[in-house]
Amino acid sequence: MDILAELTPIFREVFDDDAIVVTRQTTANDVDAWDSLSHMNMVMAVEVKFNIRFALGELPSLRNVGDLVDLTAKKLAKK
Amino acid sequence: MLFNSYEFLFLFLPVTLGIYFFLNKKRLTVASNAWLLFASLAFYSWWNVKYLPLILLSILFNYTIGYLLAEHDSLKKQVVSKRGIFVFGLLGNIVFLSYFKYMDFFIGNMNTVFTIDFPLLQIVLPLGISFFTITQIAFLVDCYEGLVEDRKLLSYSLFVTFFPHLLAGPILHHKEMMPQFESVRNKVLNYKNLSHGFFLFFIGLFKKVIIADELSKTVKAGFDTSTSLNMVEAWTASLSYTFQLYFDFSGYSDMAIGVGLMFNILLPVNFNSPYKAVNIIDFWKRWHFSLTNFITTYLYSPIMRSFRKITFAKSMLATFIAMFIAGIWHGAGWTFILWGAFHGGALVVNHLWKKRKLPMSSPLGWLFTFGFVNASFVLFRAKNLADAGKVLKGMVGFNGILPATHPHFVLSDLGHGQFWKLLMAGVKGNDSTLWTLIAIMLFTLVCKNSIQLEQNFKPSWKTLAFAVVISFYTLINMNKVSEFLYFQF
Repeated sequence: MDILAELTPIFREVFDDDAIVVTRQTTANDVDAWDSLSHMNMVMAVEVKFNIRFALGELPSLRNVGDLVDLTAKKLAKK
Repeated sequence: MLFNSYEFLFLFLPVTLGIYFFLNKKRLTVASNAWLLFASLAFYSWWNVKYLPLILLSILFNYTIGYLLAEHDSLKKQVVSKRGIFVFGLLGNIVFLSYFKYMDFFIGNMNTVFTIDFPLLQIVLPLGISFFTITQIAFLVDCYEGLVEDRKLLSYSLFVTFFPHLLAGPILHHKEMMPQFESVRNKVLNYKNLSHGFFLFFIGLFKKVIIADELSKTVKAGFDTSTSLNMVEAWTASLSYTFQLYFDFSGYSDMAIGVGLMFNILLPVNFNSPYKAVNIIDFWKRWHFSLTNFITTYLYSPIMRSFRKITFAKSMLATFIAMFIAGIWHGAGWTFILWGAFHGGALVVNHLWKKRKLPMSSPLGWLFTFGFVNASFVLFRAKNLADAGKVLKGMVGFNGILPATHPHFVLSDLGHGQFWKLLMAGVKGNDSTLWTLIAIMLFTLVCKNSIQLEQNFKPSWKTLAFAVVISFYTLINMNKVSEFLYFQF
């Protein structure tokens, strides 16, 4: 599954911006509305989409999309 | 033991460093970690050995619970559920902290509400208890969620007790710390880290001894001694505290990070020029942000999770609750509860503002933010609500702008004279009180902060001269014992 491609619609919806195209290098600095509040919204949207669950201690390390993709892939592989 | 004491600087630090790297050189790395643990516990017990059993108990308790949680899945027979163990561990920590921190506050309030006279227990707060309890709660949460792989008792104990951060942070995360104590590369004396560490340490010491302690006199007179303050005095007292707290606490963090570096251990940065913040969200990304990160991860996120479907209103509620709890964490008192609630409220306003895309210019944003932070710190400092009310009333002009009997200013008063003493009577000030404060404010707002200075640090004759001057000046002024403000939390 191409996780990265699936993330763009999630990001567009959560951050309310249809111009977003995510790459592995996208960080919170590149997306205006990406702050600590919407970070949690985004994480929970990703959890629902892939039916996985991130641990609390993993959340701070998800500061760029590449990390998010890798961790999601790891979780999917474990399922 | 205090960083700002001769016994720390000339005895404890060199002996600890020397033996640590000596043992490492002999390839006795386990012994070197054990030595660092021993030294940290000695540092903790320096004044009062009575609390040593408490911190050891807390470590053993959390380590055991963490062990049980991590091993739970591999057990053949599961007597107690994983969740049961986790809740027990969490409650254990909360009860432990509550007993020492909130029991007397609770009894006092019950006495007031029910007009009874139950005697207070007069419990003395063990040093650093708020800090070592929350870092260990994070460890338990991560054990419960299966994130903890490294579970050596020695590196765990060292992560909790490592003396630079033990008493007042920065708040550490086990995942960032425990591997550092295990890493072989960190065991070799590194002259670059050593020089950066000393540089940062002395900047921190200067901030504490020369700036914060100087301001503390004005603060004490204004908040504790005086019975009423006029506007000039009240603003002088509150601004003095705002800067005292910053220089005291960020100075402590600088020293902690500096000492960590000497041992090749990187501690997280805690401050980034918070008084340059142009909104309150920005402020919390710059002020004590090892705490902000902890609150976001371990308070805000689980509250949000519990809501299931996320809305903006719910995320605002979670923000408020998280800051409210953070207020209580700071201290048992209505002043801290109000302080947390105000900051929670201000963050909600800030997020609403942002969501509505309302305009705000940076200078105006700075003014609102700094004004709010300064007023909120009145609550943080005052011993009770009455003292906070006294200062806040003075600030808004309840007692007039100037003292009733002030002499008229004549040109010869410029810079000295009776005029200033009368003007600043409520804060026991004189001509230099105001100028010092203004100079410190400008210095804070214009200059680079200590971490920026440390990152740009390159050994040269110029930096050597700078370091020698500030360290020498600080050392000769380090003649009195003064505790760090954050030790009370």
